[in-house]
Amino acid sequence: MNKELEHSFVTNLEQNQNIVHKVCRIYTSDRDSHNDLFQEITIQLWKAYPKFRGDAKFSTWMYRVALNTAITLYRRSKRSINTADIDEVNFKIKAEEYDDEVEQQLKLMYSAVKQLNDIEKALVFLYLEDKSYKEIAETMGISEVNARVKMNRVKTKLKKILNP
Amino acid sequence: MDELELLKKDWKKQEEVFPKLSYNEIYKMILKKSSSMVKWIFIISVLEFLLWASVDISVRLSGDYDKLNVIELEGFSIVSTIISYGILIYFMIRFYLNYKRIQTTDSAKVLMQNILKTRRTVKYYVWTILSFLILNTIIFIGYLAIFTDTYSSQSEGEQVPVLLVVVSTIIGLGIFIGLIALFYRVIYGILTRRLKKNYKELEKLEV
Repeated sequence: MNKELEHSFVTNLEQNQNIVHKVCRIYTSDRDSHNDLFQEITIQLWKAYPKFRGDAKFSTWMYRVALNTAITLYRRSKRSINTADIDEVNFKIKAEEYDDEVEQQLKLMYSAVKQLNDIEKALVFLYLEDKSYKEIAETMGISEVNARVKMNRVKTKLKKILNP
Repeated sequence: MDELELLKKDWKKQEEVFPKLSYNEIYKMILKKSSSMVKWIFIISVLEFLLWASVDISVRLSGDYDKLNVIELEGFSIVSTIISYGILIYFMIRFYLNYKRIQTTDSAKVLMQNILKTRRTVKYYVWTILSFLILNTIIFIGYLAIFTDTYSSQSEGEQVPVLLVVVSTIIGLGIFIGLIALFYRVIYGILTRRLKKNYKELEKLEV
């Protein structure tokens, strides 16, 4: 692989690495699997990079590859444990910014999202990223109407998890 | 929904707490090897082609088929060899083309479809070559048992009843196929369980 391509890829990814972190955040529950998934997404992005023509924004292009890796290609390593305790381990919310009630609500919300299946998580992720239904539909390969319907179902499901 | 909107606000803030990987750390990552399921599917599929093709080819090269000449099945032997190589080449080309089509830049659904299609090609190959080998065996044993002098000219004491030969062949083949099917359910199941589940979930939306 030529050095120029490597350089432009690494620079692009360095600037946009938060997208990958956020995908890892939704799909993994501890630091080890977060890093493991980050590593795999990086490899898949790199493998697909020669086909990136620059006709879309690098970040837009990343969403697809990153989500596809998380949903389809990634094989969970044995050490990953499915718990919702990532908040304590990795991403401590800054306490001073929230009152206790809000913080509590957020914690519950994150653990509710963890209970969704892979596809539902992808929808929530894209929704949280402020993507339009058109983009969500294109990324997932479904129709826009179905993306809306499914998103509403996910919201209902989350509500049920939070208020059993 | 209030909670999801709340989460959305927090979602943006959390960027501050993510680890910041340096240029060098990311660079090191691209030099590592992937451990994606597509890679495993590829490795296992290639092993399967090698295994089943070698079973087929080794039977052909072992000289067992030469005996067919003695019992006037020469023409049958040539035709079946051509067909079996034809099957191998056809499926390998299809496998290669399907594998090439797997792109992470496709939509989630198309990607899943292509992976499942690639995997299915190998499955079809295995069942085709197995059916073919079994059909061959049945024709061979049937011919041997019913039409040839080789069999009927054996002395009375040695001769096994035709029915027994046929029945034991069928039972043997049945056990063999059962074992392969079981092996398949396990291996194929482990590999594609999550993929199939997610694919179904996406399909469900389209109803």
